[in-house]
Amino acid sequence: MTDLDFSVIGANADLLWDGMQMTLLLTVLGIVGGILLGTVLAMLRIARVPVLAQVAALYVNFFRSLPLILVIFWLFFLVPLILGRPVGAFSSVLVAFVMFEAAYYSEIIRAGINSVRPGQMAAARAIGMSYGQSMREVVLPQAFRAMTPILLTQAIVLFQDTALVYVVGLRDFLVSAEIVANRDQRLVEMFLFVALVYFVMSFAASCGVRILQRRLAT
Amino acid sequence: MIALSGVDKWYTRQFQVLKDCSLSIDKGEVVVVCGPSGSGKSTLIKTVNGLEPIDGGEIRVGDTLVSDRKTDLDALRSRIGMVFQNFELFPHRTTLQNVTMGQIKVLKRSEDEAVAKAEALLERVELSAHANKYPSQLSGGQQQRVAIARALAMDPMAMLFDEPTSALDPEMINEVLDVMVQLAREGMTMMVVTHEMGFARTVADRVVFMDEGRIIEDAPTATFFEAQGSERAQLFLSKILSH
Repeated sequence: MTDLDFSVIGANADLLWDGMQMTLLLTVLGIVGGILLGTVLAMLRIARVPVLAQVAALYVNFFRSLPLILVIFWLFFLVPLILGRPVGAFSSVLVAFVMFEAAYYSEIIRAGINSVRPGQMAAARAIGMSYGQSMREVVLPQAFRAMTPILLTQAIVLFQDTALVYVVGLRDFLVSAEIVANRDQRLVEMFLFVALVYFVMSFAASCGVRILQRRLAT
Repeated sequence: MIALSGVDKWYTRQFQVLKDCSLSIDKGEVVVVCGPSGSGKSTLIKTVNGLEPIDGGEIRVGDTLVSDRKTDLDALRSRIGMVFQNFELFPHRTTLQNVTMGQIKVLKRSEDEAVAKAEALLERVELSAHANKYPSQLSGGQQQRVAIARALAMDPMAMLFDEPTSALDPEMINEVLDVMVQLAREGMTMMVVTHEMGFARTVADRVVFMDEGRIIEDAPTATFFEAQGSERAQLFLSKILSH
């Protein structure tokens, strides 16, 4: 066993922190974009908008049947081809995450909306609110409250999945750590450190979700 | 004010829930609709404000043709109050906010105006002390009184009650009925689906009896209770009055 030297972490803190910022940025933008697009997809299906509801269903089933890494690859190579100009790894990866996550979020959101009693919609309509108003003011707030724990759990999965940007060479936390590991020949230290960071952050977030879940249940 | 004529509704191609129902309610009249469960009375009352679309016949409220596809049902519903069996208060909003929401979002009243109106109505149903509580902190009877206040906040021209006391514990039924009796005495036009025959006897001008999707009887209250009606209505009455 070679001697472990963890000082390499402190010496490269700036580089690693830059990587972590990229990871967090991708996670946050992926969640926000995924929830927005996912809500639209869910609404199309719940409101049974002709044609668009079927398109949304097809979209959801399509993306849920593909490995994420494939979607990342595709968009990285296909989007520049379609647009006829390079778009950069960050944009293509972000689009991939949003499109992929939206498929999962839409199913969570749809289940959340369906968990709100139909009488709530009836009561909202009965005081003269439109379908849109009733959704916004009455149904969605209750649905999001009910599904917050599941949405957050999905967000934790996304946080881990952002490491897949490795395949297109985007400098996230994992890639930054790998650069340091190779350059300074400290592979064991760096990959132990990376594992620890992912574990601590994901585990802490999971515990947070559990506490939140308990609080929402009362 | 409310007029249904020849209303038909199918739930599926095989199952007709409303069969040729005709009924009219004048301004200031209180009409109780009763009948065994599954007779279509809840569906009937929900057709009046268009919550349940119909397949045949015609429904008019005031000069609005509810059954016309072109009618602005949102505008109509804002003028007809409805109270549900399961209250259906908005659980993520306080009692006060439940009563102001429609005023602000639909009637575009100012916040101050809506709150003043809501406070007055909550006082009327004796719930001022609970204005800032959430529905889950209230008893069933209290929730239903808030639901009535929520409907009244829209200054409705008529009120629809769909089994307003069926989900309540017995000791809470009267607090809700008292509010309804008071409302009836003030001249509110009311259509009430209920099994509370005491309420019907006290305030209803007419009682309508439904069975298997049809209106079997439509009689002035006194006549209805004087055992002159149809056999099925009498059988129904004897069943629910004997316990």
